[in-house]
Amino acid sequence: MTTLIKQHPAIALGSRIGVIAVPLLVFFLCVLFVPRFLSVDNLQNVLRVGSILLIAACGQTGILIVGGIDFSMGSAVALLSVVTVILAPELGVALAFTGGICVAVLVGLCNGLLIAYLKLPAFLVTLGMLLVLHGLASLLSGGMPLDAAPSPGFLWLGSGHVAGIPVPIILALLAVLSLHGLLRYTLVGRSWYLVGTNFNAALNAGLPARRMVLLAYIVAGLFCALAGAILTSRVGSGQPNLYPDLAFATIAVCAISGIPLNGGRGSAVQVVCGTLIIAMLNNAVVLLNLTSAWQQLLMALVIGAAVVLPQLSNVRRRCVHLLRGNAQ
Amino acid sequence: MKTIFQASGISKHYGTTCALRDANLVLKAGQIHALMGENGAGKSTFVKILVGAIRPDSGALVLDGQPVVFGSVRDALKQGVVPVYQHSTLFTRLTVLENLSAFGLGSAQRSWARNNCLDRQQATEVLSLVGLDVSLDSLVDELSLGERQLLEIARGVGRRCSVLILDEPTAALGAREANRLHQALQVLCAKRTAILYISHKIDDIKRMADAVTILRDGLTVVNAAARDDISAAQIVQHMLGQTFEPQALCVSTRGEVVLEARDIRLTPTAQPLSLCVHQGEVLGIVGVAGSGALRLGEVLAGAASGHGGTVSLNATSEVVNDRQSAMRAGIGYVPSDRHADGLFLGLSALQNASASVLRGFSSWGVLRLREEAGPFDALIAQFNLNPPRLDLDAAYYSGGNQQKLLFLRNLVLPNLQVLVVLEPTRGVDVGARESIHQALRALACRGIAIIVVSSDLLEVNTLCHQLLVVASHQVAGRMMADAQTDAVLSMMAGAC
Ligand SMILES: Nc1ncnc2c1ncn2[C@@H]1O[C@H](COP(=O)(O)OP(=O)(O)OP(=O)(O)O)[C@@H](O)[C@H]1O
Ligand SMILES: [Mg+2]
Repeated sequence: MTTLIKQHPAIALGSRIGVIAVPLLVFFLCVLFVPRFLSVDNLQNVLRVGSILLIAACGQTGILIVGGIDFSMGSAVALLSVVTVILAPELGVALAFTGGICVAVLVGLCNGLLIAYLKLPAFLVTLGMLLVLHGLASLLSGGMPLDAAPSPGFLWLGSGHVAGIPVPIILALLAVLSLHGLLRYTLVGRSWYLVGTNFNAALNAGLPARRMVLLAYIVAGLFCALAGAILTSRVGSGQPNLYPDLAFATIAVCAISGIPLNGGRGSAVQVVCGTLIIAMLNNAVVLLNLTSAWQQLLMALVIGAAVVLPQLSNVRRRCVHLLRGNAQ
Repeated sequence: MKTIFQASGISKHYGTTCALRDANLVLKAGQIHALMGENGAGKSTFVKILVGAIRPDSGALVLDGQPVVFGSVRDALKQGVVPVYQHSTLFTRLTVLENLSAFGLGSAQRSWARNNCLDRQQATEVLSLVGLDVSLDSLVDELSLGERQLLEIARGVGRRCSVLILDEPTAALGAREANRLHQALQVLCAKRTAILYISHKIDDIKRMADAVTILRDGLTVVNAAARDDISAAQIVQHMLGQTFEPQALCVSTRGEVVLEARDIRLTPTAQPLSLCVHQGEVLGIVGVAGSGALRLGEVLAGAASGHGGTVSLNATSEVVNDRQSAMRAGIGYVPSDRHADGLFLGLSALQNASASVLRGFSSWGVLRLREEAGPFDALIAQFNLNPPRLDLDAAYYSGGNQQKLLFLRNLVLPNLQVLVVLEPTRGVDVGARESIHQALRALACRGIAIIVVSSDLLEVNTLCHQLLVVASHQVAGRMMADAQTDAVLSMMAGAC
């Protein structure tokens, strides 16, 4: 895994290749076996869809590194979209989006406070938050999608272009770069790795461990808000069921890219690779016209392969050990 | 004597480092075989290979005349080869009894149902064998470091075994506990168990080992020398590869009071205790396992809170509530359990060493990564860190070298006023022990107050100016360090 740790050169090289090899493999498989995959329009579409997931996954990565987890993202983006659409007629598009984004960041803040300072388990807090926020979003919208008054401003985030490049892709790039910078070059990022690796030791080393956990949830709230804003703009409405399994998708991304759930490891490069895999697969199964059962099975298969492949040498060694051990 | 367990031609590489080269070992029935070597010499690696926790690159094991290959530690246990590891492998959320039975102690049955009701009688016997005096139902979380170590040993000693392997069992134990353990080992010896005993304490080895094997850089430099054929000085020379003369520690003078603790209760019912530490003073705190000595150290460092009372820094009258405020006030800390409370295993040694001074090489929250390693270059040489580089995962360093990493972290603190070290030389070799002592005294000469909590009376006696004896979570006495060892010992035991 390409984390900050310098491992033995051979191991480091092997895992770095592993991280990049799998998305490449998936890409070539798609090119070979999926008709109409390799066209500029389609690839752009893959990236545009992937960019939303990527931005949210950036937030999830920070949280996983400090040893937490966030299940509430799906409802947070839904609440954001509903709030934005409700505010839009009165405050104007820009302020409405700002309001929506504040809501999502606030959600991160709440999660963080409950987890870091009240020491409640992240699993339960964010799962509860998922339900609470969904209820809130449904309440505000009356349970129905609210259509936003169509205006070019509202749709810009989701479908605008800058210099011919779709805005979501630009924002995703910015998000990944800032995550990379944050993790590698800042005090906060370094503290996240330390706190996630050994919370006790971080406290004993005099680090503000709790504040760092809180910060991870707030930063995740920010990433999540950005993803939510793009999503809202793309669908042009406020929906209480906007992207219900966003959190699970981001966790799948992290799992595929080899970021462990017990903290202390993970990098921006990994998130990008993981997202690319999922985005390409999602696109491929649609192009292949598979029934949803086959879609799910194929996804599961590829996710499994992506998790096992980089570990292949490990797995092989263990198998050999088992066999040798049993032979005696 | 009959040979029970034999390892021959064992080699093991980790990447480019060679942890063991063509090592041979013969363990005989009823014999205590000492394995020695400086930090990183390959002792723990050898142990892990002997019990099947890792696989050697080459070499073979022979148990009772039969060649064996252990696929896992389970296999080894099944055949009566029992390890007691250097670092804790206890289940901290379970009780003492559950920990004993989880190790399959006392019954050969497979069924969990049987194991669970391992009879308490038997468990109590095992505990008393090693001299551990705790309730069977207390949680391991609540035990002190020494008590955990004893429990760890009890798990191994209590099991019926033909080969018992102890990796630095007494590193965190005082003389009394160590004696108790040695008696228990003699009993096992009489039952014809073969024992491999790893320790850095040369006196212990001279007293009880029948044969001595010494490793250096993975090479066997002395193979099964009889105890009387090798002197303590020779052992040290073989371990370090050079003769070794302890140098005089620098003499520090006592200045003003830096740290003051008032009315601290270690348990709700214990008598409150107060103490103050002066600039340049080295204060030793001693007590038997579970006496509260370590606890007191933690409270002084802000790593734990007592029941009432305050710890404050004199100059700034800053009150220490937690590690963060303690660090701001300039209190460094080396915890006793390095894996659980000190190290970031999985991150690089450099990240471990620089964890407390992140602000020192950052501006506006951005790290200046190039400057990170700078302060450590000289220290690596001074402490003889092995491997002498900081870019490896901290988990790849040997036990003693990990301890050195914790020291590096504290030695670079810019505003260090007080350094609280718990079991400072736990598991480090003679040479490193000396350099740690020198470093502590050098700090004292710079006017820094040092608080040493140690179960090693010899260490406290050479290092400290003053001793505070803790027994039953209360102060049992204070004395100058050159006091009679016997007096200290009886004081430590007295109030228990
Ligand atoms: N998992 C690992 N990966 C890489 N190197 C390792 C690993 N484990 C041990 N080593 C290296 O192998 C050498 C031997 O280590 P080992 O733990 O056996 O030393 P030791 O004799 O037990 O020392 P100590 O007295 O400090 O416990 C050391 O140089 C260590 O850095
Ligand atoms: Mg060791």
